[in-house]
Amino acid sequence: MSESLSLSRRTLWQRMAQILGGLAVWHQVRPAPAEQTASPETGPQTVRVMRPYDAETPVREFTSYLTPNHRFFVRSHFGPPAPELIAAANWRLHVGGLIEHPLELTLKDLKEFEQVTITAVVQCSGNGRAFHRPKVPGVQWERGAVGNAQWTGVRLRDVLAKAGVRPNGKHVQLQGADRPVVSSVPLFTRSIPLEKAVHPDTILAYDMNGRPLPLLHGAPLRVITPGWMADSCTKWLTDITVQADEAKGYYMQTAYRVPVTAIQPNSGLPGTSMVPVEAMVVKSLIALPANGDQVGRGPVTVQGVAWSGDAAVATVELSFDDGKTWEQARLVGEDEPYAWRQWQFLWRPKTAGAVTILCRATDANGQVQPQESPWNPGGFLWNGWDHVAITVAL
Amino acid sequence: MMTRSLPLIGLFVLGLAGLAAMTAAQEDDLASVSAALAPRAEGLIIARCSVCHSPDLVSQQRLPKDRWAATVDKMKHWGAEIADDEADLLVRYLSARYHPAAPDHLPTLDHELRKAEPLTQEPADTGPLVGVSTRGAGIFEHNCQACHGAGATGGMGPKLAKNPILKQDDLFWETVLHGRGPMPAWGSVLSQQDIADVHTWLLTK
Repeated sequence: MSESLSLSRRTLWQRMAQILGGLAVWHQVRPAPAEQTASPETGPQTVRVMRPYDAETPVREFTSYLTPNHRFFVRSHFGPPAPELIAAANWRLHVGGLIEHPLELTLKDLKEFEQVTITAVVQCSGNGRAFHRPKVPGVQWERGAVGNAQWTGVRLRDVLAKAGVRPNGKHVQLQGADRPVVSSVPLFTRSIPLEKAVHPDTILAYDMNGRPLPLLHGAPLRVITPGWMADSCTKWLTDITVQADEAKGYYMQTAYRVPVTAIQPNSGLPGTSMVPVEAMVVKSLIALPANGDQVGRGPVTVQGVAWSGDAAVATVELSFDDGKTWEQARLVGEDEPYAWRQWQFLWRPKTAGAVTILCRATDANGQVQPQESPWNPGGFLWNGWDHVAITVAL
Repeated sequence: MMTRSLPLIGLFVLGLAGLAAMTAAQEDDLASVSAALAPRAEGLIIARCSVCHSPDLVSQQRLPKDRWAATVDKMKHWGAEIADDEADLLVRYLSARYHPAAPDHLPTLDHELRKAEPLTQEPADTGPLVGVSTRGAGIFEHNCQACHGAGATGGMGPKLAKNPILKQDDLFWETVLHGRGPMPAWGSVLSQQDIADVHTWLLTK
């Protein structure tokens, strides 16, 4: 009791110190009036669709290694399920299909498996769709449908081992509790190949950044497939079915697929071989300065994040002359396999006026972020050079 | 040298101006088509599309006519209750207002919507409205149930069965006609008779 009391007292002092410190900082660097108004770059979230709620994170937030839960981008096809469906008393995880022992697990049962924590980037497959030309239909995501969080849960392979996968089981179908308003709309049913499902880093997560998974992020349980796009990270998970084939239905057979080889914009799809969106492609973002910012003589800290699907980030380069010359940024901070890597560059602007800062990353496999991504009808996997337009006032 | 190239430059500039004028004229055409269709089309978007998603998902798209036609067709296939003439109107409107060259931020439609006409034609004035409960049930199912739940027991929107607002005629009509908070205005979608029918049906719940 006394220990907790002294702890809370200490916390209180820390809080007061933080507040006083914060006030001091506030006086020194008061943000410009323009920065105080909510904008896509500075607001809590940029809403793309009110219902079902789809919103992206302002890129300025990516100056921090972990993206806070309340700022983390939100995407689903039908919105969260009715609360009673995922209440602890009613929610169960069913494991069935081509297995030896069907399972029905409560969250408490699930927590009996070994607990693991993985820091991983989760990115919407359509992040950057708005930049594809010609434009494609879908939520017009720009830069912020991505985030980096600590996911805690159990390995999917441990759950599958308990159920006992039969030899003909090759795909693992994932179904959440979310439902469309109209029953004639197909369910968001997905599957991942068995190899990805039994990878030791593929987990069923119940905590996000050390807190119980929020409703908008898939409470009580979601799939995390590190290194892969979020179309595989089913939220509100209730049913795992081991099958011989890929899941049937619109969201697996038609949507979330890209052409195997590059195709001409708007060219006919029949005959083009389409494969599911899986691994992430190498990508970087400039978190600061933000579009429209004004900077002085400097040195100006340009900073951001970079990540890739299968490999570590090797280099991040910046250009201040429209791509004619590139300068290497410094990789800083945590270096974890599936997380993003933070980078910094100290820039001394020499001439006043408008400047566009360009940014590109290269991963350890030699994959380079292209100026523009290959066009595809779903607008997936955008990873063109990131750019930020600012003004230098010397 | 300089004087000799001047007429050429002049021609080039004239050509550019002509091109710009043509594009502006085409833009004007599209703008007048979309303005003319807006009252009815925007009403349809609220009535038929926003059952499943808010209209902002529609207005952020910039697509050519064939993609709009394919999208409306996909939605019909998925259960959007769009009649053929309504689909045709929607595609004409959407491809005139939300075409690939349209700016990201379009002027709002408020002034156009103010002269919105109801989808159902009003019968000639034949005295006070009398709601028909059986008709109201169907209208509720198609237009209101997605948010207010089956049997008006509530969902994303408030429960309407036994809701005190049913006894406050002015507030009920004001809310339905003009919207309140997240609820859209239905004045351009439902006729007065439709609203009276829904009201009568709700009183039986």
